[in-house]
Amino acid sequence: MTLLRVEASTKRFGGLLANRDVSLAIEAGEIVGLIGPNGAGKTTLFNCITGYMHPDGGRIVFDGHDVSHTRPERICHLGVARTWQVVRAFGRMTALENVVCGALRRTNRMAEARARAGALLEFTELGGRGDMPAATLTLADKKRLEIARALATRPKLLLLDEAMSGLTPIETAAAVRLVRRIHEELKVTICVVEHVMEVVMPLSHRVVVLDYGVKIADGAPHEVVRDEQVIRAYLGERRAHR
Amino acid sequence: MGRIALAVGAVAAIVYPIPLQIQGTTYYQTVGFLVLLNAMLGVGWNVIGGWTGQFDFGPQVFFAVGAYTAALLYVKLGVDAWLGLPVAVGAAALICAVLTYPLTRLRGHYFAISTVAIWMIAQPIGSTWEYIGAAQGLFIPVKAHAGVVGSALSLQFSGPTKALGYYYAALVLFAATLALMAWVERSKLGFYFRAIRDDQEAAEGIGIDSRLYKVIARSLTAAVFGGAGVLYAFWALSVFPEQALELNWSTLPIMATVVGGIGRLWGPVLGAAILIPISQIMSTTLGTGPLAGRGIDLIVYGLIIVVIAAFRPTGLLSLPWARWFRRRSATS
Repeated sequence: MTLLRVEASTKRFGGLLANRDVSLAIEAGEIVGLIGPNGAGKTTLFNCITGYMHPDGGRIVFDGHDVSHTRPERICHLGVARTWQVVRAFGRMTALENVVCGALRRTNRMAEARARAGALLEFTELGGRGDMPAATLTLADKKRLEIARALATRPKLLLLDEAMSGLTPIETAAAVRLVRRIHEELKVTICVVEHVMEVVMPLSHRVVVLDYGVKIADGAPHEVVRDEQVIRAYLGERRAHR
Repeated sequence: MGRIALAVGAVAAIVYPIPLQIQGTTYYQTVGFLVLLNAMLGVGWNVIGGWTGQFDFGPQVFFAVGAYTAALLYVKLGVDAWLGLPVAVGAAALICAVLTYPLTRLRGHYFAISTVAIWMIAQPIGSTWEYIGAAQGLFIPVKAHAGVVGSALSLQFSGPTKALGYYYAALVLFAATLALMAWVERSKLGFYFRAIRDDQEAAEGIGIDSRLYKVIARSLTAAVFGGAGVLYAFWALSVFPEQALELNWSTLPIMATVVGGIGRLWGPVLGAAILIPISQIMSTTLGTGPLAGRGIDLIVYGLIIVVIAAFRPTGLLSLPWARWFRRRSATS
């Protein structure tokens, strides 16, 4: 079953084409990696899918609904949750309260929301930090907190925007484990944006590559790394011809 | 600890005017009335300004809506104040919702400016609309009431018990406001308001309709201001544009909230309990005698606020009181 379908999505900022005719599909149950050099248009595509921006051309269909011009909170209701490249935790609230806000999407009962938030803090290994103000957490913990908050809304599709950038190798490995557990234990379809190849390749079932706003490759990780256009985009012209 | 403090505070607030009344003074009951009125307004403003983080400098518009609604109902239809109160509160909240929805497209300073703009538009409307008395306003005649119960039921106190009566009326409305907001703070609304304050985009990403919840927050603020307006109108026995739309109806509660602790339920209460008596003392001591009429009282008052704002911008309640208390009890 196709959960998300992006059909020829185009997004323009003045004279800059951030996304040009980008088409992709995400099947339920997949982990899809979305990669590309800096400025390739990955975050723009995320913003269009989650309703923070609306494509100038093309369509985005999630779970049978055209969401091209839908507001973010509606798209969350439909079952999409995201995290942010630059963390956006609710700094003056405690870690638990952050997740409670997410859980309140699916219930109005505070006790139920608190219980669910507590369980998700355990799941994301933040169990001991529930009472800490979110602003005082480390970067790695803030990123986990964002994931817990997003999961609390019970998404069908989770979009992770560079959930592993800026982390130490040990923290990165833990984050990769967490993504796998979300996929296996919570049965959530996941799309990860990264520009660190070493992280995306082993994690993803399928990889989509953007360069200068255009999709240049879409396939299994081992195929994509041999793709001439992808090598050129990452390593430059000379390497591609070897 | 918290419960004991609450009980002590409640008893103190109830007992406070009794010895004064026996002595035969009324001045301090009126100071108490103003403290409670501004504390109530501050608790109301805290919803939009403190929890939701949207600076609203025009809530006095809804103070006026409440005051005028209840006064009109009383003068034109003979409806008593307590019956007019829910209508006035509802009118303030409803008008606020309609006016605020378009403003929620604006953020930060622009939202703040737009709330001021609405207040500026309200002033000429108030001073030219004949039905509500234009610049003259409305006078609220005192009807004869049978005893204390009659006065209390119609919110019309007069004579030597006037200040006492309005003090207790203000205490009732203040307590109701505080109880409502204590519930709001712990409910879904309170969480969503603070989420929008901390990060609007992230809040929308977890399904929070930021425009809807900003409208709800400001309408809660407006409801409190409307209720306070009713009380003030019946205390002042009149409503007129310059009085009901006075800027002080927002600046005093905002200052009380900031001094006491913005975003904390009890912050505005502490702030009002400190600032209003100081302002009264300043104006009775420095405002009279050889220095009278030179605004010395206002200068000193302003300096106190500047000092608190400079040294503790998060408010007096944010000081580590719990730690100090524990140390005190450990050493003694």
